[in-house]
Amino acid sequence: MEDPRDRQYTNEEITVFWKPSKCIHATTCFRELIEVFNPGRRPWVNMEGAPTRRIIEVVNKCPTQALEWKYNREMDQKELQMNQVRGDEVTPKTLQEEDNQRPVKVNLMKNGPIVVEGDFKVIGADGNTLRSMLMTSFCRCGGSKSMPYCDGTHRKIGFIEKDD
Amino acid sequence: MEEKKAEFKVFKNGPLQISGDFELFDSAGEIITRQSPIFLCRCGKSADKPFCDGSHKSAGFSG
Repeated sequence: MEDPRDRQYTNEEITVFWKPSKCIHATTCFRELIEVFNPGRRPWVNMEGAPTRRIIEVVNKCPTQALEWKYNREMDQKELQMNQVRGDEVTPKTLQEEDNQRPVKVNLMKNGPIVVEGDFKVIGADGNTLRSMLMTSFCRCGGSKSMPYCDGTHRKIGFIEKDD
Repeated sequence: MEEKKAEFKVFKNGPLQISGDFELFDSAGEIITRQSPIFLCRCGKSADKPFCDGSHKSAGFSG
């Protein structure tokens, strides 16, 4: 039976299917490709964030069937109609909120940003702004245009964290 | 004992200070430290990444 929380996201070539009931919070998707899979954003899947082949690669790494994909040309009419964006989206993060995650997890992405999950505060560079957040990613390459947060620039400039 | 809520302080043209109750993991998911506070590089130039080594000054980092 269809779960009302299920969602699908599409670009011109493929559709990614998201089934929250199957998610085990392996975090593979956003560790690999925060530009597309960002639980801190709504909608949390941005199909314009990376080339299709890269999205397929990461979806294929999902250890459960929480994320799956299909070529649009192989979808039937009923499936295509489901591509309309609906509200009240759950993400791997909101699924986990009941856990009141502490301590906060600070994850370093290889040649990419600092991804933070949990319940935390951010104090801005002006020393005044204070925000409570549950998920975000901080720039580590120095090149983001939306500082202090990651905007994917690290890929464009070829940021390499260490030579090894 | 109640641990302090994690706090992320962005230093103007400098590092990111993390304090309170947190765990830092590397890209393989291995824990690096729980020690508070730490200062992480934001300019991309530190020779001691992920930590800040003061390189943002010589690099003239703005952000």
